[in-house]
Amino acid sequence: MTDLGQLLLAGLSVGGVYALVAMGFAAIYAVSGVLNLTQGEFAALAGLVAISASGNGFPLPLAALLGIVTVVVLALAIQRLIIAPVRRMTTLLSIILTLGVSTALKATMLLIWGPEGRGLDPLPGNDFTAAGVAVRSQYLWILGVSVVVAVAVSWFYERTLAGKALRACAEQPVAARLAGISVARASLVSFGIAGLLGGIAGVLASPVYFSAWDSGLALGLKGFVAATLGGLTSIRGAFMGGLVLGVVESLVAGYIDTGLRDAVAFVVLIVVLVARPDGVLRRQVAARV
Amino acid sequence: MAGIRALGAAAAVAALLVATAGCAEKDTGGGTDESGPIAVGAILDITGAGASLGVPERKTLELLTKKLNDAGGINGRKLELTVEDNQSTEDGAAKAMNQMVSKKVDLVIGASRTGTSLAMRAIAETNELPMLSMAANVKVVDGAKWVFKTAQNDSAVLANVVDYAKSKGWKTIGLARDSSAFGEGVAETLNSLGKADGISVVATEKFAPDATEFTAQMVNLRNAKADANLIWGIPPAAALAQKTYKQLGITAPVMQSHGIGNQVFLDTAGPAADGLIAPVGRLVVADQLPANDPQKSVLTTFVNNYKAAYNETPSTFAGHAWDAFQLAVDAFKAVGTDKQKVRDHLEQVKGFVGITGVFTMTPQDHSGLGKEALVLVTVSGSKWQLAPA
Repeated sequence: MTDLGQLLLAGLSVGGVYALVAMGFAAIYAVSGVLNLTQGEFAALAGLVAISASGNGFPLPLAALLGIVTVVVLALAIQRLIIAPVRRMTTLLSIILTLGVSTALKATMLLIWGPEGRGLDPLPGNDFTAAGVAVRSQYLWILGVSVVVAVAVSWFYERTLAGKALRACAEQPVAARLAGISVARASLVSFGIAGLLGGIAGVLASPVYFSAWDSGLALGLKGFVAATLGGLTSIRGAFMGGLVLGVVESLVAGYIDTGLRDAVAFVVLIVVLVARPDGVLRRQVAARV
Repeated sequence: MAGIRALGAAAAVAALLVATAGCAEKDTGGGTDESGPIAVGAILDITGAGASLGVPERKTLELLTKKLNDAGGINGRKLELTVEDNQSTEDGAAKAMNQMVSKKVDLVIGASRTGTSLAMRAIAETNELPMLSMAANVKVVDGAKWVFKTAQNDSAVLANVVDYAKSKGWKTIGLARDSSAFGEGVAETLNSLGKADGISVVATEKFAPDATEFTAQMVNLRNAKADANLIWGIPPAAALAQKTYKQLGITAPVMQSHGIGNQVFLDTAGPAADGLIAPVGRLVVADQLPANDPQKSVLTTFVNNYKAAYNETPSTFAGHAWDAFQLAVDAFKAVGTDKQKVRDHLEQVKGFVGITGVFTMTPQDHSGLGKEALVLVTVSGSKWQLAPA
């Protein structure tokens, strides 16, 4: 039982990080149909900026904030300079564009921070043992913050007028524009939210899972799989997808073979795309025309 | 018609001649002649999982090349170092190795890890190009003609592990090992070395060289309830595994491999590293060695030079690079750049005092180090200490 608890906790913790990245994918895709492949790099960059800031004497919360703000600004810049100028954006085109940006970002991070991975200092809190399960305080931070952020973002998208306006852009861009909603602005806001989510994921994950110039690749892939589990347009689905993926990975590694951990995500991806392309966690909707 | 065809053929032949002339011209620019600069290629794991190995190796090679050329080079010839990053991947290593072959370098140093070195080995053998690997697994040089290596064999390290287990009366060992080529064969070697003393591996867990999450492996080790556990990997993975080990409250003593001899390990593992035992090269405890240690002066000179250049202490991996470079330079000094002669010279190295140990190569042993090339160290207060005997 303690083993199961330990594996579940580890899975939920890493799943929390996947969930944050996955929500970033969904936040943008739900608004403009853009698939932003720099989502993983957002997390890596936020972690690295925070590590440098804290190394230069900034207190930890300020360093973390600086990392997140840098990424939000970068996300807005990507939307303005690379996504917005394209007249007829398609999902495929957005994949190609953001893949290029992601490669450039990786190279830049490699030049600035070098090839070695590093970890940010953990957030305050004591590690303890409950019912035989060793609990790292950073696990609780990751879980707690990702739940709060998930609730906040899904509330924004589903309950506020501004959020509903964002989703309207995805469903009926022309009608949305007729109703006075600026599609360009909606896309910009969604990038800002995705940057925020990626940044938070980066600074939360860094103490346990490390930040390096190339850590965004794996994180981005897992986040994408998690978002696909949730159907790619649902914030809640992406969040649940992240947690499920983290837990399944951890259980497979613990009970079957540790070597299979990284295979889990891709097996899941193939199964989902073949069997339920609209997402496992989503009610089947009538065929879209 | 016939005239035009003949003209075309003549033109084609002429073009071919020009092309081959171009190639021939390039050839003389290579390192094969006996007067121009000596070309040495280095293929290192600079980015990716092996970054904490490849970076200090590159720094060492660049430092030594500069010092050598400033002092006049080798018999009046400069040494030209070309460094390639294999991104810690086998295909990257093979590609870089083929590039080195077409550049006609005189010798190749690399790679940093076993898998990447194995990918280069076959190319070195078929092209008869001397190669000095800095990887651990004996498979890199086993039965090779043109490949040598400077890191201690895993069997030498495991012999130390077995000796220590024997002295402590441990019979069962739990193993968590790197899933790449570096970790392959560890359980088998440990079992065969420990057989005489009844020491055996009771559980084997694997982790990817770039893994960051170790809960599953450590939970399984905890359940194996071995007398002691051995973590076999390189930083940062080995350090993160060590952290999880302590965090899960496993009380059995923990040993690590010689893969951890750098600052990255200490920084990453932090207080969790305290009390571990690892067979490591003498470099990390150079200041604590007795004055009569044969390597003492070589080690201190290297540490001081490296510190002066980079303002940090060198890792054992930097030491592997030092050994490879000096072995190559000694060979060039003695026999020039003829590849066959360089190879033959490397095979006859005897009593070469390096950073990793005192090397004596033979046709059967292209590693040249025994179990005495390692000392048992422990960590206390994030500093390396010679382990109490």
